[in-house]
Amino acid sequence: MIRHLIGLLILLILGLIYPWIMPGTLTVGVTILLFAGWATAWDILGGWAGQVSLGHASFVGIGAYFVAIGATEYALAPWWSIPMAVAVAALFALAWGRLTFKLHGPYFTLSTIAIAEILRLIAINEGWLTGGATGVFIDWMPTPFGIDLFERENQYYLALAFAVGVMATTIGISRSRFGYQLRAVREDENSAMAAGINPTRVKLKAFMISSALTAVGGGIYGLMLSFLEPHILFYLLLSVQIALTAIIGGRGTVWGPLVGAVLLVSAGEIFRTSFAEANLLIYGVLILLIILFLPSGIIGEFNRRLTRRLYAKRAQG
Amino acid sequence: MPNALKAEGITVRFGGVVAVDHVSLSLEPGNILGLIGPNGAGKTTLFNAVTGFVPLESGQVLFFDQDVTVAPPYKRAQAGMGRTFQTERPFEELTVLENVLVSAFLHTPKRKTAEKLAMEMLERVELDDRYDQPAGDLNLARRRRLELAKALAIQPKVLLLDEVMAGLNPPALREMIGLVSSLCQEGLAIVMVEHIMEAIIELSDHVIVLASGQKIAEGTPKEVTSNPQVIEAYLGTD
Repeated sequence: MIRHLIGLLILLILGLIYPWIMPGTLTVGVTILLFAGWATAWDILGGWAGQVSLGHASFVGIGAYFVAIGATEYALAPWWSIPMAVAVAALFALAWGRLTFKLHGPYFTLSTIAIAEILRLIAINEGWLTGGATGVFIDWMPTPFGIDLFERENQYYLALAFAVGVMATTIGISRSRFGYQLRAVREDENSAMAAGINPTRVKLKAFMISSALTAVGGGIYGLMLSFLEPHILFYLLLSVQIALTAIIGGRGTVWGPLVGAVLLVSAGEIFRTSFAEANLLIYGVLILLIILFLPSGIIGEFNRRLTRRLYAKRAQG
Repeated sequence: MPNALKAEGITVRFGGVVAVDHVSLSLEPGNILGLIGPNGAGKTTLFNAVTGFVPLESGQVLFFDQDVTVAPPYKRAQAGMGRTFQTERPFEELTVLENVLVSAFLHTPKRKTAEKLAMEMLERVELDDRYDQPAGDLNLARRRRLELAKALAIQPKVLLLDEVMAGLNPPALREMIGLVSSLCQEGLAIVMVEHIMEAIIELSDHVIVLASGQKIAEGTPKEVTSNPQVIEAYLGTD
């Protein structure tokens, strides 16, 4: 616990000095932090509770659209529209979970793909609400204390606060009763029930927390894009990227999603600039190698070995 | 004194097959009920029916006079019905202590209190020296003991043990028999499904014999083992 909190403090300090050291790559920084936050939030459901979702782009989209429509149509500041998006995302997760948590394993995962598809169709077809297929352009933002929210540096600090906040939430959960209920449900639902745990309730709670936190990052993403299109925000690829980030870093670990985000976003960036057309191929091979040789993800495999080693060391006296 | 557990006319049907056919049982605190029968007799199914893991076709389950017939398994566990699984299922990715911690959190949200209780249960089953080992690395005998510690950590009033003795070597078997007997002396009501006759005869106050889903005999261990019908069910006739 203490070690995690110290790690988080180091991350915060590194995050705060990053804009001074690498002012030219702020956009990459925002992207890494958003993915770290999203993947950590995804992991509460996908890793800790073991319910893999391929629909988390929905909650990114809900966050972004609330910020955009709120500002352009109703002159709502993001500190009003983001809490609204959070509530809507959580209610949506509750409704969806109630319908689909009877499904297990891959069937639940398949059902989550439909969430984003439904929202994408709504965003395209209900133009009066969402700007339709042409999208929405955010042309106004309040300036609290003279802070320009369209400024990339300010968006960076928002993304940093988001990533650190989500990770702090996960650290809290990992040691708590709820954290153990999540792990028990992931490992074996029957055994969990024998320990007095209601699996559906635990999964619903995880889904709600996960989607609510994802929506917060979605709101910041909306500011960063400032032009929203349904094809980008409710895109399956975004859902897959969020899931992959957590899986490669290590599902059900505190630091895995962050490691995954740093690795995938920076690798994507480097490969695109240095290998041009071949970048997706190399990116794909990298993912394949990690999944083949580190099936629990980088941090997952590390933790597993660490636990064994610590036990062996203590057992030998 | 009320019955700790009372099941009446339990019937479970899987499609066209009647797995358990109108079986009744009752049990008082501090007593051990043995459940024996040949393979496929419906012992584990009866177990799952009583603990809520399979739905009943008909019948009623009372837990300290409270009707729990339609309560889901976790509600029964919360009320104090503890169970182990025949195919022992530790949470493999978790350490031994964390496995028991999951159950110990049932009555308290505080980690310190839950950890203390979990450690006490590990001491009881003599796994405390392995508290930080990944549970997936345990051998069969230790997995059985871990199962028991997990069931004990919900602080049950009734404990249903599904073949916790199977596959144990003689010293481990003696230890397990001693442990179950001490639990019963503390006032726990225990139902045990078991193939090991030595354990059944030594521990049970009352034995029920199942064959093809039906109760074919019941009584003290001595009565049951000398019953010709039981011998026939086990050995067949010529």
